[in-house]
Amino acid sequence: MNVARSLARARILRVQTRNYAAISSSSPSPSLTAHTLGPFQVFDRETKRIQRDKAASKHGGESSRTVDYVRDEIADRMMERLEDIKRRFSTVVDLGSGSGHFAKLLDPEKTKKCIMIDSSREALHRDPDSEFEGQNCILLSCTRVNRYPVEVERIHADEENLLQIMNPNSQEAIVSCLSLHWVNDLPGVLIQIKEALQPDGLFLGAMLGGETLFELRTALQLAQVDREGGISPHISPMTDTRDVSNLLGRAGFTLLTVDIDEVKVTYPSMWELMDDLRDMGESNAVIGRRHIIHRDTLAAASAIYKELHGNEDGTVPATFQVIFMIGWKPAPTQPKPLERGSGKTNLKDVL
Amino acid sequence: MRTATVPPTIKPLKRLAVHATTTCAEQASIYGKCILATYTDVRQDICKAEFQKFGQCIREAVRLEIRHPLIQYSFIFLR
Repeated sequence: MNVARSLARARILRVQTRNYAAISSSSPSPSLTAHTLGPFQVFDRETKRIQRDKAASKHGGESSRTVDYVRDEIADRMMERLEDIKRRFSTVVDLGSGSGHFAKLLDPEKTKKCIMIDSSREALHRDPDSEFEGQNCILLSCTRVNRYPVEVERIHADEENLLQIMNPNSQEAIVSCLSLHWVNDLPGVLIQIKEALQPDGLFLGAMLGGETLFELRTALQLAQVDREGGISPHISPMTDTRDVSNLLGRAGFTLLTVDIDEVKVTYPSMWELMDDLRDMGESNAVIGRRHIIHRDTLAAASAIYKELHGNEDGTVPATFQVIFMIGWKPAPTQPKPLERGSGKTNLKDVL
Repeated sequence: MRTATVPPTIKPLKRLAVHATTTCAEQASIYGKCILATYTDVRQDICKAEFQKFGQCIREAVRLEIRHPLIQYSFIFLR
């Protein structure tokens, strides 16, 4: 009896695990429209695209430019990591480029061209290739300066379907700066990146980690529990740092480097933080989210935010946790660890 | 009580923001401290009394501001 029951349970468990694996290992994620919900759809990609389009086009892009500070800072830190790699690239693909925060920092001596891919057309075209120098520029008395140090090409496409626009084994380097946190099928996108790379090609990415905006998350949760007696998601679930190296390994990258960094920004209050997040196009896009927050809950959250996390001078901090990842597509020319147990020197003799 | 005046063209949410952080800072702080004292065991309406005072202050601030004659005149000018 007992055996039979445990066998039955084992069968159920096996069926479940198989379901899981089948879904998350599908390499190119099936393109889903806004209203079909696959089992692993966390984010509403269509809403996200609209939010980012709106944010990038508001006030002719001015509001969006004022809130570039987080993306610019992280693009800068990512560039430090690219500079450490002693290699020249004829083309670098920037997946989820936004308004080219990373492309603007590329060194023309090391890189010839950058292909920017983004699902938001407005964000992609927010900053044209060249601009007129100076504010009071009268016809012919001003010079055009290039915004981007290297040649750029823009492709308006969904980041989740990279292989629809890139041929397998075609790219030398793919980078992604702060766009992977809105991707539903992260394992699938990483596999597509690996497929699109040439052997020994580089993937360099930065994505927001699980500690991001924990202050806002906790303040809203406490306020909701006290005011409404329950919680609903207002901040996205984000990838845990520990999972990233597993995901990279599972996608087939080798020579992995994963590290974490933090960007702390100080705001006068929670309200300015929320305004800026909206202008960044980073508003809530979780499927099944509530579309309104009650005014009482908001007021309560701002009071809790300040008391729970506030600085001594009355301002409030907001944390952006960034996970940097570097992975290479395997190639026979790459250095590999020796076979386990093949060492000839005893470590005892050395030490 | 520090009263902050908000230009009348500003959105209602902005108005709420100013009153929640500036005009009613004192009540906000009392409410926040109440949650802070119990945040490991928060239930619905655990700081109800404190929040009522805070909410009352915000409503009062909004009401006063709309009735303020200068602001009423500025509405006319803006038309």
